Formats: sequence, structure tokens, C-alpha cells
Amino acid sequence: MTIEQKFTDLINADIDGDISAAEKDELQAFLGDNAEGRVLHDELASLCDTLNGVEQEAPPPYMRHIIMNSVPPTQGKEESPGFLQILFATPALKYSVTFAAGVFLTLSMLSSNQISHRTFDAVTGLVGTVAEPVETTFAHSISLSETDIAGTVSLRSAGSIIILDFDLVSADQIEVQADYTDKTIWFNGFAQLESEGTTVSAETGQVRLRMEEGKRRYAVYLQNKGARNTTINLRFLADGRVVHQAKLDYAPED
Amino acid sequence: MSKTDDTKLIERCISGDRQAFEALLAEYEKPVYNAAYRMLNNRDDARDVTQTVFLKVFQNFGQYDPSRRFFSWIYRITLNESINWLGKANRLEPLAFEAADEGKGPEQELESARVSATVQAALMTINTDYRTVVILKHFLGCSYVEIGEILELPEKTVKSRLYTARQHLKDELTDQGL
Repeated sequence: MTIEQKFTDLINADIDGDISAAEKDELQAFLGDNAEGRVLHDELASLCDTLNGVEQEAPPPYMRHIIMNSVPPTQGKEESPGFLQILFATPALKYSVTFAAGVFLTLSMLSSNQISHRTFDAVTGLVGTVAEPVETTFAHSISLSETDIAGTVSLRSAGSIIILDFDLVSADQIEVQADYTDKTIWFNGFAQLESEGTTVSAETGQVRLRMEEGKRRYAVYLQNKGARNTTINLRFLADGRVVHQAKLDYAPED
Repeated sequence: MSKTDDTKLIERCISGDRQAFEALLAEYEKPVYNAAYRMLNNRDDARDVTQTVFLKVFQNFGQYDPSRRFFSWIYRITLNESINWLGKANRLEPLAFEAADEGKGPEQELESARVSATVQAALMTINTDYRTVVILKHFLGCSYVEIGEILELPEKTVKSRLYTARQHLKDELTDQGL
């Protein structure tokens, strides 16, 4: 026996709680006499419970970052400042502490044969110098939009210092390798902002960073005493697999 | 989030406040992504559609009618983008069933993933007119009136489509043993 459309509508309305008292009475009278109607009511109620109980899918953790990066800058109110602007513009104490923490972490990660005296001296000196506002010159920037990692890496310079500014989001642990073939360039410091969870190690010609999942902002400082043209080769690895490669070029201003 | 909160955020977005846009993104990212995923049955496509939706929202704040609720606007864009995506890809339903991400959690998680995947497979057997009302009602929690506002349909049509869709889904899920 087919159930009249009017009653299937009432059954659905009842399940959705969208039924008047009079309609409810009418439905109850129908269901009292109709076993098929009761079965349909139970089945549809069960279906709705199932549909309402399906868990929402979590969006990819890096998606928000990609969307924000894809939104063009506006000319309206002042935007939130970038990492380096914050680093160089906030009160001395704040970023000295931030930077010192980074240096401490850096040095704790370096094995003794990786530390040259000039690197150590330079890092120590840098903690003092960043307390004053520093003019930086933007050189190059790259964007990543991979499944494993997304965000931007920028290269800026301040005198003989090259600054690699990482603003990344990853779904899992990522290793970043920054290679520079020019042996006159050496690792000079590391700072993290807003987040922890990134460690650094350095050797001649290479800095390696290991970042935990989530949003990470940090900067790597390189000393380029000769102020030469150079290229930083970046490799991003997830579980030892290269997921992205890029180059950042630097040419000193005349 | 209330309509007033949304309206304030949108006013700030229009004046160029990126933090306000990020707040809107945080609020609506998940439902938009889920609506797209349930429409498309593909996580990568859902991600791309979600990005497109938010970019369109950002570029078209000027067209937003503040007398209407923001979610009805963004959900409408989401469903339209998803339908366009299906059309562009020339992939008429039923689409291939994307397996649940199994094998990474306890028994309950697996069962939950199995139910989700079975429901998704059933959803892909009904046409997009029916699928949209089911998604709006059961996955985004919209009322009949809100669904009517989003789809610009009379409430009566919304109910009719929803009831028909449920009947199809019930039969399909029964066949699949759920």
C-alpha cells in the first residue's frame, strides 16, 4: 500500500519539528492505524539522525593561509605589519628577548664543530644591533602552495646581513634546507615570532630548519660581508621527500 | 556568529581591514569547505572551490546586500561555484566514490568515517537540486526559510525537494546496509 503524499509530508514535517498541533494529531491518528506509516516514520527519523550525525570534514590546515595570501592587499586601513616590520619596530626589550631566545635555541642545536668564532661573535653582536630600527631592502620573495606546505619566503637585506623571512603553514613536520654556494656567507642568527617549534642547525654553505606542523614565522640571518650577488636554494622536505624547491636571488644595491 | 557581528565584520572588510576578513574566514571556512566537499566528493576540489569562494567574497563585498544574512550569500556562492565546478570538469554525477581516510584511529573513528563515506556515496547518487537542499538542511543546519532564501525558492519547493531527496537517500542507504 502506498502512503498518501499528505502523510509522508506530515512525517517529514514531524521529524523536522515543523508541525502544528492539529497536524500532529492528524499524523498520530494516521500512524496509529498504519504500520507502514510507522515504519516510514522510523526509517526517515533514523536517516535524519544519521545525516545530522555525520562529522564535518576538517579543512586542510594550510588553506586559510593560502586564502589570506591570495587576497590582494587593500588601500584601506593599515594592514597588520609583516614579520620584519614587527621585529624591527617593537620595543627593544620585546624583540631582544625574542631574538635572544632564537639565538639560544640556535646555539643549543649547533654541534661544536659547526660553530666558528666569527659566527658566534656575529650572532652576539646582532642581538644588540636589532634593538634599533633597521632599514631593510626587499630583494626577492617566493610563494608556496603545496599540499604539505604553503606560505611565503622573502629575502631582504640590511647592510651586510641577508634576512630570510619565513611565513609558512605546514600540515606536518617539514625540513627546510637553505643552501648557498658562496662560502664567504655564513649563518648569523635565527629568530622566531609568535610561535615556537622550529629548530635550526647550520654548517658551511647550508642552514637546515625543522618546523613542526602549524603556522610558523621565523627569520634566518646570514652574514654576507663581501656583499656579493648570491642565490639561496631552498628545498622543503616532508618525510625526506622533496615537496618544493625554489631559489631566492640577492644582488646588492649599487 | 550573529547577523550583527557579521555585518560589523563586513563593514570592516569593505574599509580594507584584513583582520576582519580573516575573522570571517575563520568563521565560515569549515562550513564552506564541507558544503563544497559534499557537493563535489573530492577534497582537493573542495579546497579549490573554497579558495575561489572566499576570493569572490572579498572582491564582491560591494554587491553584498546587508539586509540579507551573510551566510545565505556565501553559501549561495559556494553552491553555485560547486555546480560550476562540476560542469567545468564535465563530471556528471554519480561521481567516483572517494574512499574514507581509514586506518588511522580507533574503532569509533573508523565507524564514523565509514558512515560519512557511505552517506557521501549516497549523496552522489541524487542530482544536484536535491543534494543542495540536503547539504543545507543536514550539513549546514539551515531552516526551510533559510534554504529558500539561499536558493531563492519558495518554502514549499524546498520541502518537496528535501522530502524526495530523503526518500532516495533512505533507499540508497538501506541498499548499502546502513
